Amino acid sequence: MAAPAVGFFLPATQAIMNASTLDKDVNSAMPPGDFAIWIFIYAELLAFGIFFLAYAFTRAHNVELFNASQLSLNRESGAINTLVLITSSYFVVRALAAIKRGRQVFCVRWLAAAIAMGGLFVAIKLAEFHAKFSAGISLHTNTFYMFYLSLTIFHFMHVLLGMLILGFVLFKAHRGHYSAEQHAGVETGASYWHMVDLVWIILFPLVYVIR
Amino acid sequence: MIKRHNPIRPCTGVWLLLVLLTLVTYGIGEAGLGGIEVVFLLLAMVLIKGQMVADFFMGLRRVRLRWRILLTIYLLLVVSGIALAYLMGIK
Repeated sequence: MAAPAVGFFLPATQAIMNASTLDKDVNSAMPPGDFAIWIFIYAELLAFGIFFLAYAFTRAHNVELFNASQLSLNRESGAINTLVLITSSYFVVRALAAIKRGRQVFCVRWLAAAIAMGGLFVAIKLAEFHAKFSAGISLHTNTFYMFYLSLTIFHFMHVLLGMLILGFVLFKAHRGHYSAEQHAGVETGASYWHMVDLVWIILFPLVYVIR
Repeated sequence: MIKRHNPIRPCTGVWLLLVLLTLVTYGIGEAGLGGIEVVFLLLAMVLIKGQMVADFFMGLRRVRLRWRILLTIYLLLVVSGIALAYLMGIK
């Protein structure tokens, strides 16, 4: 079991190491895309960061309640949604790589695939919310659910906004607004979508796993 | 010297490692594991995953250190805060 896993992930690690070496001489001044999106991204990350710490420190005073309530969460859904968002982010990376090579059609296809994965996330999350609300769980049930629902709904809204942004980028890409030379719009949308992914990467272990 | 061609793109390598770390996180949850060591391992994986997304997906490895370091500091602060809160909960 271990040998195939090593054989599978060793080339992956080598690919990452090679990329790090190659990228040493291509430093650019600013982050990719419109700089305004980075102000927005850091503001959003700050808001989520405060939310995460509020959850963690409130949990410290209500450990038993949080551990007991956490058992009712659907961890499979959380894990699948993590994989879905990671994969969606990967598709966006491929879309950006495609437009940088001037391959507009591939850029559109990768973006469509990324949005479809976003749709899958939304569907899974809605099913999870439906199950909780059907069981009579609400923001008022207890402190854990107040945090669980607020955090995940807040993130859910960001997923919807990210899908809207990617949809707009896809529309423009389809109309031929981007090229190998001019693709800042794709970079801007991609950066926002990766932020949505990054936040879920912290949220999943914090809310669904840590006990 | 023969240069070996790696069939996996860097971004695909990152995606595979992110998938692996997510499955490990899920496995820990399913096994019902807890305690300081486990939580620190989970938070270390959050740091690694977050930095990989920032560097390879967001493309921050290509920008000046001052922009890249902001996200690293953010991840360190959030993860350290969560670890501190967890330790407070044990006492």
